[in-house]
Amino acid sequence: MRKRIVSAALALLLLTQAGCLRDSRPVEGTTFAMDTVMTLTLYGGWDRERTKEGRDWMMGRLVYFDQLLSAASETSDVARINRSNGQPVEVCELTARLLDQALALCELTGGALDITACPAVKAWGFTTGEHRIPSGEELAALAEKIDSSAVRLEGNMVTLPEGMEIDLGAVAKGYAGDQSRETAQSYGITSALIDLGQSTIVAVGGKPDGSPWRIGVVDPAQPEDYFAVVELEDMAMGTSGGYQRYFEADGVTYWHILDPETAAPARSGLSSVTVVAPSALTCDSLSTALFVMGLEEAAQFWREHPALEFEAIFVTEEGEIYRTAGLEGRFSLAEGYRDREVTVLE
Amino acid sequence: MRTKLVLALVLLAAALSAAALLLRDGGTQAPVARITRDGVLVEEIPLDGIQEPRSFTLEDASGSNRVEVEAGRIRIAQADCPDQICVKQGWISDGTVPIVCLPHKLMIEIVGGGGDLDGAAG
Repeated sequence: MRKRIVSAALALLLLTQAGCLRDSRPVEGTTFAMDTVMTLTLYGGWDRERTKEGRDWMMGRLVYFDQLLSAASETSDVARINRSNGQPVEVCELTARLLDQALALCELTGGALDITACPAVKAWGFTTGEHRIPSGEELAALAEKIDSSAVRLEGNMVTLPEGMEIDLGAVAKGYAGDQSRETAQSYGITSALIDLGQSTIVAVGGKPDGSPWRIGVVDPAQPEDYFAVVELEDMAMGTSGGYQRYFEADGVTYWHILDPETAAPARSGLSSVTVVAPSALTCDSLSTALFVMGLEEAAQFWREHPALEFEAIFVTEEGEIYRTAGLEGRFSLAEGYRDREVTVLE
Repeated sequence: MRTKLVLALVLLAAALSAAALLLRDGGTQAPVARITRDGVLVEEIPLDGIQEPRSFTLEDASGSNRVEVEAGRIRIAQADCPDQICVKQGWISDGTVPIVCLPHKLMIEIVGGGGDLDGAAG
């Protein structure tokens, strides 16, 4: 009897000890894709080699998405669509699925998001860095050509009217984020932070110790500081801000987020929008769309679309902070910002 | 006799696991700046051990970046990249956000040293 108790104790001890000796370091990965640096921090189960395989597969996929979806790469599906002169083009299944979801989001946001704004983005020089200010006439002509409802998708065949160009920049990272999460889960990774260049972040599970991931939100007025902290667990997050890409001319700031209606930088009174939702694609696309809408319209959109399961944080150009009610318990002001007022949208 | 042997083994295992725990959590790590190019490690600099500020230049076919290091912090002071984003970012002293020079595929991140946040959005 006594022997049995001792052996049971020994077995128990060995088990707990094995837990202690399990490698607690994350498997990490960095890759340069989609005009940004992407970092993966992965905590797997027992089999570290399998987690590494998952990491390698994810990194390969991220580069593949880039090759498929980058407007700048000559051989990408997007470049082929843009060169099609109005003729139907067959694209990869993956591109077709993303395009389908992106077009649905363009419609849902009433055109605040539009994947056909590419020629306007080019005209402002945001793709090359050779910035210029197009004339009013030029902008009117560009705005005329922005209309994602003119894109036809039948199966894997895409038809884009002549003179139009698409850019999936506002949705590709989100899509890549959702795909990466699926990969992580299929490799038994229960805890991971997938950072696709700060503008899109996906949390798989919480941290290995069970607590949520803590993500700082950049202060648009001082991009080296964080004004808030959001706790994420099995959630994605995306931020769009005027400070991310911009140029100044004659004391005026022109940023890369354009209003599809005017083909000019969206001046809706907001300086950054952060979206928290289970889907990274939702976060990525809505952060841009809500930025274009402005606070009032964005808040209304949030109230009217509970099915999208998103919450949002808004910062106005005057520095006022707004957040939606659903972030209760997950949102806090960062150090140095504790005395700032936060208006809760209901 | 046999029970005693098993008991001794149990005690040994307990001692070992205690030691493993102690060793693993032994003190927080000191911050180290890890510089990589296209994912390949270029240099690791322990930031706590720096007495005198120093600077050095990293160069390859894509261009050059001048790195400055002081006690507890690091920055890219000069670069010949077109966007200058790495220079504009200034000093970093924790692991929240790395400095990235995208055109040169150069990244400086700080590992160890704790820090309150796991990442940043923006």
